[in-house]
Amino acid sequence: MVKEVDGVMVVAHELKAPLAVLRQLALSFGELGAQDEHIRAEMISVSERAMRQVNDLTKIRKLDEGLFEMEPVAVRAVCDDVTHELQCLFKENCRELNIKYTNRAKLVNANWELLHSVVYNFLLNAMYYAEEGRAELTVGDTKGKVRIMIRDFGPALPIGIWREMKKGRIEQPVSIAMRPGSSGLGLYIASRFSRYMGATVGAVRHRDGASFYVELPVSKQASLF
Amino acid sequence: MIYIVDDDIVMAKCIARACGEREVRIFGNAIETMEAISSGELPDLMFLDILLIGPDGFTLLNEMVSYTDTARVPVVLVTSLEMAERDLSNYGVVGVLEKETMKPEDVKRYAWQFA
Repeated sequence: MVKEVDGVMVVAHELKAPLAVLRQLALSFGELGAQDEHIRAEMISVSERAMRQVNDLTKIRKLDEGLFEMEPVAVRAVCDDVTHELQCLFKENCRELNIKYTNRAKLVNANWELLHSVVYNFLLNAMYYAEEGRAELTVGDTKGKVRIMIRDFGPALPIGIWREMKKGRIEQPVSIAMRPGSSGLGLYIASRFSRYMGATVGAVRHRDGASFYVELPVSKQASLF
Repeated sequence: MIYIVDDDIVMAKCIARACGEREVRIFGNAIETMEAISSGELPDLMFLDILLIGPDGFTLLNEMVSYTDTARVPVVLVTSLEMAERDLSNYGVVGVLEKETMKPEDVKRYAWQFA
């Protein structure tokens, strides 16, 4: 019997190799002037982000195999990690990122890797659509859950997408026409990962942008500490 | 002498550049590598990709570990597979570099240490 080849996994591997090579080539330059150093940093940043998306796609394929273990995850640590990673990108694009933690529950039931990707994708979107030059990340408690919310100040979110998100799931990447350049891939990834973790994603429409959030169940192990 | 075994010649050259002044040989597959070793030349260090055309990196590792002289060659895996949690020290593997995150300094460090 011929084993079925998973096209997405093959394409993912084929994409990862050249992206890794491009990143490596950028790193291979010797000392550069300030302007060229900036270009090098951009090349590395772009290839790393593309590799991350390819990795996310392969993770979606692995969700059905249940390979991602759920565990108590320190939600602020995940957010700190993502914001640290994206801080340079915000700075390079003259964007400001405001962070506010008010959550009392420290641990959520999640998978570190998947939650990291959810927050990363939301924040990256916010960076692109931070028209007023800023985005906000807030973490707070809500009805026995912890909500991580990322607010941007870009174009309004189409009501169709908002309705889909209200249902709690995005079944496929949907281009958000009012948000130029958006393929909806980040939302789709966030939605799939959240569903796997028993979390919910949602959006709030604002006249001057949108807030995307993920709500995660508080880890019962928190009471042991 | 450092051996670099990778079917992606551009990636292999990047690793070679990071090795600095060290003498390197680049191989595109496991068979050529074994042939070179069989001719009597033992590398001080080997950077080895896993997914190769033809016999893969694990096949080469198995072959090397079965001879007492080649079993002692330190090997650094350079791969896009998730290998971090696997203990391959019995195969002479002294380190794993992930292609997506590695830096020239990482390669340099191994080159300085072993070659």
